[in-house]
Amino acid sequence: MREAMLALLAKEPAHGYELRQRLALALGVVGEVLNPGQVYVTLSRLEGAGLVRGVQVAQSAAPDKKVYEVTAAGRDVVAAWLLDSSWPKVAPVEFHLKLVAAAGTGLADPVALIDAQRRELLRRLREVQRLIESHPAGDEDDGVLLLEGSALRLQADIRWLEAYEQRWTGRTR
Amino acid sequence: MGVGRLIIGLAWRNLRHRPWQALLLLLALSLSTTAITVALTLTEIGNRAWDRASQATNGFHVAASTEIPPDSSPAQRKQVRADLASLGSAPGVVAAGGPWRTAQVVGEIDGAEIRLRVEVRDVDPAAVDQPLVTAGQWLDSRQGVVLEDGLAAAAGLQPGDTITIAGQHLPARGSALTVSAKPYPMEQPATVWISPATATRLAAALDGGAYKIYLRLSDPAQAESFAAAHPEVDEHPWQDRKSESAVDLQELAAMLATLAAFVVGLTIATAAILVAGRMAAQIRQVGTLKAVGVTPGQVTGVLLVEYLTVALLATTVGLAAGTLLAPPLARLTRPLSVYGAQTPPITLSRAAIVVAVATSVVLLATVRPALRGVRRSTLHSLGSNTRPPRRAGRLIRALARLPLPLPIGLGLRAATRRPGRFIATTFGLTIGIALVIAGLALRTGVQTVHRQGLSRIAVAAHDPDPISLAATTANLDRLSTLGFTIAAFLIGLAVINAIIAAVFSAHDSARNHAILRTLGATPGQTVTAFLIAQLAACLLACAIGIPLGMALYSAIRAQTLDPIELTPLTYIATSLTTLLLYAMIALSPARLLARRPITQQLAYE
Amino acid sequence: MSAVVQAEGLCRHFGGDGVPVRAVDGVDLVVEQGEAVSIMGPSGCGKSTLLHLLGGLERPDAGTLRLGDQRVDGMSEASWARLRRRMIGFVFQAFHLVDELTAVENVELPALLVGTSRRAARRRAIELLERLGVADRAGHLPDRLSGGQLQRVALARALINEPLVVLADEPTGNLDSHATNEILRLFAELRDTQQTLVLVTHDPRVAATAERLMTMRDGTIVDDIRLDGGPSRQAVLRQLAGWEA
Repeated sequence: MREAMLALLAKEPAHGYELRQRLALALGVVGEVLNPGQVYVTLSRLEGAGLVRGVQVAQSAAPDKKVYEVTAAGRDVVAAWLLDSSWPKVAPVEFHLKLVAAAGTGLADPVALIDAQRRELLRRLREVQRLIESHPAGDEDDGVLLLEGSALRLQADIRWLEAYEQRWTGRTR
Repeated sequence: MGVGRLIIGLAWRNLRHRPWQALLLLLALSLSTTAITVALTLTEIGNRAWDRASQATNGFHVAASTEIPPDSSPAQRKQVRADLASLGSAPGVVAAGGPWRTAQVVGEIDGAEIRLRVEVRDVDPAAVDQPLVTAGQWLDSRQGVVLEDGLAAAAGLQPGDTITIAGQHLPARGSALTVSAKPYPMEQPATVWISPATATRLAAALDGGAYKIYLRLSDPAQAESFAAAHPEVDEHPWQDRKSESAVDLQELAAMLATLAAFVVGLTIATAAILVAGRMAAQIRQVGTLKAVGVTPGQVTGVLLVEYLTVALLATTVGLAAGTLLAPPLARLTRPLSVYGAQTPPITLSRAAIVVAVATSVVLLATVRPALRGVRRSTLHSLGSNTRPPRRAGRLIRALARLPLPLPIGLGLRAATRRPGRFIATTFGLTIGIALVIAGLALRTGVQTVHRQGLSRIAVAAHDPDPISLAATTANLDRLSTLGFTIAAFLIGLAVINAIIAAVFSAHDSARNHAILRTLGATPGQTVTAFLIAQLAACLLACAIGIPLGMALYSAIRAQTLDPIELTPLTYIATSLTTLLLYAMIALSPARLLARRPITQQLAYE
Repeated sequence: MSAVVQAEGLCRHFGGDGVPVRAVDGVDLVVEQGEAVSIMGPSGCGKSTLLHLLGGLERPDAGTLRLGDQRVDGMSEASWARLRRRMIGFVFQAFHLVDELTAVENVELPALLVGTSRRAARRRAIELLERLGVADRAGHLPDRLSGGQLQRVALARALINEPLVVLADEPTGNLDSHATNEILRLFAELRDTQQTLVLVTHDPRVAATAERLMTMRDGTIVDDIRLDGGPSRQAVLRQLAGWEA
């Protein structure tokens, strides 16, 4: 979130509320759960790190508001972030280890674990799809694509679990 | 060269893999080539036979006759004879036979009265026109008559039988053939030769008459100009005789050629269906070959080698069979039953024609689907099971607007998606129906002859006596039996064609019917829909086939038979029978496929 | 709510030389009116065969089957055909449209089979095509339609007689991701009409459109869970945001 906010500010300086709005716009429906306080906290942290600079701007019909603009160091961070091609963790190593542990310790049945996780993911997938549905068809706003990406991830993960299941049921037979 | 061997190897493997289809194609194609060979060979047989007969008899080039005025004195007769004989020393003449006395008399054979043309001949062989003995012996010093071979055959006279001429009973010494007259009953009155002794006995009957002389020229080609130069000479030289004797033969050849055309048509229809049906397997092979880098040209090469092999085999079979069959068929005609027919050698030009026909039939039937298969993309070929239907044309869009009941509409539209198959099926059925109609007309025509005698034209031309009538009718029966046999054979071929067409159509529509069944159509409904669509082709075939059959009959009846009008009831009966028969043929594959489980059928996708 | 589909002990074995394959081995199944059920399982588990049995495309070797209030497992092919017309709509992976008929003609086929007048059938077919968003393709032949359009036409065909149950066999199997999304949306809309639906699929996204999921393995149903009652909207959104952060 930090780098994204920096990038949004780099485009054009903004005060906190404006920044929140831009973020919400970019995230679409996911932006609903954006904690408003989180924005301000992150902003002050960025200021402390010297990546943004707050400037007081006088307003005629309202109290002064603080407008944040990005510093040179901040721009460097943004540039590096944009060029960075690392991808968030795809394979849940933790779950894999869970299965190994369950099989090794005998504390749980690996196949039952897989089934339970699969059920959970399916339910989650169903909800994500209902969220997608509630968008009018043909809507090209980025928020829908974000949701579809999640659905595809869940689909991939469920398939991955099914592959696991085939392997593990063969083993325990 | 490796590619060449690959192509031939693949072609050979394909042929061995599905021998039935190749054999069927070979059969149909061989029939075509045989028919064509026979038709081509007949004329040559006729010419050769005539030439042989002419050679064996020292045949004439020109003939001349002078009438003897009635009540002439012997001296006058002698003068007439001498005048005629002087032609023998005319420039260009190398040999002369006669002059001999001829006269028209009335004879009686087995109680039937018959007009005869008598020629008084010497016992010694003549220099020109010495008839070739075919039974018994030539004339000798005794009383005796030698009959023209056609008359002997028609009247059933053997050497030793008695024939009455002008009231006198005379022994038949034998029969002989000549080229100076057409064989009886083609030429009437029939010719008989009598010995000088018999001439004396018949002196009174021979009163009047004429003298006739036969001449051979140094240059036979000049016969016509020679005839023009000399007024006594008959203006029909040997060439006319030769071509006239061939008329019967030409009619037979024409009939066979027409039937050959039908055979070729049937063969194309059968071949087209067979080839298109094989395309399903071929296309995948085509795709595989293209995928491993064989060029489209080489792929076409495989297909062509396969089918051209069949064509070549069929040509060989046809040439051999046709050449062997032609002489016995030729002997069905009157002249050649007299002159004899021998197997002629196979000429290059004839072989070339037969090869050309066989090759074009094969190419017509196979090139189009082959090229289409080659042009399709490789992936497409590998993936699909059959050739997909063509894109909708204007015809389909037009049909789409017609408010036809569902089974008919669906069936018709399926038919237009595969026009080649539909045309081939209809074509085959049309030919079958045409042959049936022609056969029925022929049968009626022959029956009419038996009841009423020959056509008015024939009667007017010959004013026949009972013997010639019997002979002509017998000849007609022989020829029409030949016609019926060929027609029956072709109808059998048409039935095979119909079965093949029905089976392939059933396979084609199997998918759609499986789909309909998933939607809740009963198997009975899908079979009915299929049948209705097939019968549409049948109806069309009836509509075209019936007039075509009548045209065929007109083409082969020549002058012998009257034009026949079959009753409307006959047409209706034929159409209904064909529809029923085809429905039965189409029912079996349809029901078999309807019984196949839906999921199995659709799994072929 | 009445049960639309009731199966008890359904069995279907495929002979063949050697060991017979038990494609469906004793399946008990009840689907209520208005329910949407997905059936998932590894390939070869028998889910397609089970669907075929439910629709009468195959006959069970043992067990009973009821559709609505009618006992159907012993019916003849002709009786099945008549029943299928009125009560069942099929959607296949390979679409299975008649190539020689236009889209609208394909759709109106089942209506014509039950005896609807041509005009009424045509009207209803066009309505359905409009509802599914392919009305502009009504007069086209199948070879001019994309995969997504074909499946929508197939779905319209399945719905035209307002069937008791729609049986879909891998409906997105031949579709690309874009077309799959279209179909997902359609199935979701279908849920709103209370159409009873049985879906066989290996795609979790398709399965997740139903609220009930059965898992098959080796010819039997090993799992039967409800998919609704999952995380709330807020919870899901928070999880999403948490992932991407």
